[in-house]
Amino acid sequence: MNRSDRIVVNWGHIALLAVIGSTIAAYLFDARATSLKVNNLLFVQPAAIAGLLLVLLVLPQCFRRVSADEPAPEAEPLSHLAKVAGLMAALVALALSMERVGFDVATFGFLVVALRLCGERNWIVNLGFSAAFTALLIYGYGAIIPFPFPLTIL
Amino acid sequence: MTTNISRRTALRLASGGVAAAFAAPSILRAQGAYPDRPINIVVPFDTGGYNDRLARAFAPFLQERIGQPLNVINRGGAGALLGHTYFLQQPADGYTLLCTSAGPYIPLNILTQDATFKLEDFHMINLPSQDYTLLATSKESGLTDIADVIEKLKADPGSLSIGVQPASADLVNLMILMDANGIPRDGLRIVTFDGGGPARNAVAGAVVDIGLVGGEGFLPLADKITPLLTYDRVQRDNWGGKLVTDINGAEAAFVFGSQRGWGVHASLVKDSPDVYAKILAAIEETSKDPKVIEALTSQQLATTWYGPDESNAQLAASAKVIEQYLDLLKGA
Amino acid sequence: MLDLAAVDSALALLTSSGTAWLFVIPGLLIGLFFGAMPGISITMAMAIFLPMTLYMDFLPAIIFLTSIYTGAGFGGSVPAVLMNIPGTSSAVATTFDGYPMARQGKHNEALGLALAASVIGCLASYVLLLFLIVPVSSVVLKMGPLEMSAVAIWGMLLLGSLSGNSLPRGLLAGVLGLLLGTIGMNTAGYVRGTMGVPWLLDGIPTIPAMMGLLAASQLISLVNAKYLIDDEASRKISFRRIFSGFRMTLQYPTIILRGTFIGVIIGSIPGVGSSISNLLSYSETKRNAPDGASFGTGNPKGVIAAESANSSSEGGAMATMLALGIPGGGATAILLAAFAMHNIVGGPSFIANSKDVVYAIIFSNFAQALLLLVVGLGFVYLAGYIVRVPMRFLIPSVLVVAVFGSYAIDGTASGPITLVVFSILGWAMVRYGYPVAATVVGLLLGSLVEGNLLRTWQISGGDPAYALERPGALLILALMAFSIGMTAWSARRRRRAERLADVES
Repeated sequence: MNRSDRIVVNWGHIALLAVIGSTIAAYLFDARATSLKVNNLLFVQPAAIAGLLLVLLVLPQCFRRVSADEPAPEAEPLSHLAKVAGLMAALVALALSMERVGFDVATFGFLVVALRLCGERNWIVNLGFSAAFTALLIYGYGAIIPFPFPLTIL
Repeated sequence: MTTNISRRTALRLASGGVAAAFAAPSILRAQGAYPDRPINIVVPFDTGGYNDRLARAFAPFLQERIGQPLNVINRGGAGALLGHTYFLQQPADGYTLLCTSAGPYIPLNILTQDATFKLEDFHMINLPSQDYTLLATSKESGLTDIADVIEKLKADPGSLSIGVQPASADLVNLMILMDANGIPRDGLRIVTFDGGGPARNAVAGAVVDIGLVGGEGFLPLADKITPLLTYDRVQRDNWGGKLVTDINGAEAAFVFGSQRGWGVHASLVKDSPDVYAKILAAIEETSKDPKVIEALTSQQLATTWYGPDESNAQLAASAKVIEQYLDLLKGA
Repeated sequence: MLDLAAVDSALALLTSSGTAWLFVIPGLLIGLFFGAMPGISITMAMAIFLPMTLYMDFLPAIIFLTSIYTGAGFGGSVPAVLMNIPGTSSAVATTFDGYPMARQGKHNEALGLALAASVIGCLASYVLLLFLIVPVSSVVLKMGPLEMSAVAIWGMLLLGSLSGNSLPRGLLAGVLGLLLGTIGMNTAGYVRGTMGVPWLLDGIPTIPAMMGLLAASQLISLVNAKYLIDDEASRKISFRRIFSGFRMTLQYPTIILRGTFIGVIIGSIPGVGSSISNLLSYSETKRNAPDGASFGTGNPKGVIAAESANSSSEGGAMATMLALGIPGGGATAILLAAFAMHNIVGGPSFIANSKDVVYAIIFSNFAQALLLLVVGLGFVYLAGYIVRVPMRFLIPSVLVVAVFGSYAIDGTASGPITLVVFSILGWAMVRYGYPVAATVVGLLLGSLVEGNLLRTWQISGGDPAYALERPGALLILALMAFSIGMTAWSARRRRRAERLADVES
């Protein structure tokens, strides 16, 4: 073993495993709190335990030994991650706000932000496309599911 | 799923009037004489079920009398809990009607699902359809009489597998029969199904030895099953098996499977008696119209008029029986 | 088995009513369009047009509705191939290889494959139906929980083969899906994992979750891409290349035949249907193919396997509906309602007394399948233009469509919220090398596995001897073991042959 080896930790992967592991554990505890009868736990308990074991099995893969002379892998440009995060935030905002501020306003707002994030720099094109697509969706989907969307302007 | 399929909407859609089909959003409007805008019927089940079919078959006739289009809104899920909650969230102004299996679902929502509403929040105008539990077995099982079943279960409660839905009126009815015959509940071999359809298929295919499910749904499978016991005081659908009153005496307790029909917000009756009277009259006239009776009967849908007093009393009565068996319903 | 007199009068029935045929093409177009819209299910499309059929005669009404059914069955494959969105659960396996093909610039071929496999699968399933309607229906009711558990476990085998590079990660993704699939009220009435959210009582809404895991997560990570297909020359839409997809399909009759057979059998089981059959067919084809390892990276055989099975499930579901009068799913429930509107009750007596009508329905479906080839060709040609839309417009648009589609399912925010949660999860999983497809498959199978294992336990009282009373289940398990054994054996032979070839060279 070379002394100059270092351990590279993949924190993002650890975070994902933590989310998966805690989801499974919380589900197992909730199921056990509901009832300990076989009718309840027959499948969930063994599957959850298997899931937790698999989390432990995968965990070491988050740590990678690299020799010192190996060049560090090229880091992803931060701007890419920022765009992804921005897009996700816009999506969350859309899902949470559309019933409150109306589908028309929420959809239009999401499209404007998302088009900008995805690289459309011409604001006239952006606003025009967003407005047209919002109207198309609301009238189009509105016709197919003739159930009213909550709307503010349209 | 949410579909609103008034005939008008469908025709407009077909004729390409896409924009016209778009229903108006819920913006408050000036109040004129009731009704001055379309009325929604909330069905707390998905499309294709009995309530959905009833609402859609009845609506065209009812809207002639009410004078405004009726839109059916399906809000299925969680044993009608979501739909009932949604209905009560709508304003009690007579523009939202309910078509549901009031019994046993409203009591079950309240007793087993911690619903935020009370039975008294609903007012039933008419519950024409009363489904009943049918205890049946496959034609090939060799069982021909309910007495055989009771005898077998008395000798060994685990000798027959019994198909039911969890937390259902059918389960209550099963336990009433077991208790009356001194058969211990714990030893029973109960097999739980996710819906009436799968439970009936299992009975017809001899996957389970006996099953207790709503009887009307058994009609298409009639020549594959032997009906053994009907939970009602009178014969239903010409099944010809025994009645629960033959076995447990004339005063036998039991619960109706589904009591389905029309309801409104209870507060409407008190706060807007004029609006309520209009709805009541329209539903009563429509239910009694021979043309309607003929059209619905051909689709195996009920229109019998019982009226609000009897309907609400029936519902309260089954809620009471269900409450007695609460433990059973909470942990199957 | 084929009643010739009834065939004769069925043909007379169909030729006498010329107007009935006028409804086929509009029906197919409606179905294609609705099926291609994410979140709009076949059931919803049929339910919307059901009231219209009240004014039609019986035969035109049924032909119209079954045309919608046929069209919508294929419509869902178009977004699956072009955008990785399974508009319905029956198109899940189509995304596995269809979408990679599209990204490689083989969208024409992939759509051609999907269309041809669907048409052939649909035709073949109705041919089978013509002869097997009565025996199939008698088998359906005999399917007990042990048999269903065997089918579900068969589906779970796919979890292992979807695992990609790291088996533990693949299995973890699958187990996570299975567990998430059991959230809500289980078959015995116990409520778990709902966190007090009422709409979770019925479980996690699968379609929004699938759209999030497969499509939205993909789109979000493509934020820097200019086009879906990098190479500009490959972005062409060409009839010639769609036709070459047709021809390619015809080279794999075994895959189609297997897919059709699985589709008819699984499709006829109430409550299971096409959402499972496409997975089973994909899994079987992958295991039996010499190039199984390339499945999931754009292998045309994967598309053929999935599409032939999901389209032939329609025939299976129709068999159960016609022969037993019980609906296998939403679409057949609507058809039964249409029957009822015309005072016709499905079931054993209907088959016995109205064989001519049954045959007429089957024959009209032959015609629908053939017409689908023509109408579908035009449809996929137009839909193909999506690959020419720059990603900066495509990503926001498709995300919004997915949100609208997930709202359309039940008209509440539950769909969009599920979609968003699963797109974030999906994005993270893809980033760290987890096969999201395994999670999707697990999600679809979770409650099926739990419910049937539980019922098996309840019926048997925990006694393993119960299995001996169920020869059907033993047969399924034996077939499964045989199929796995054969795969292992042929894989070993192949490896040995390869080594031999290596030595020789």
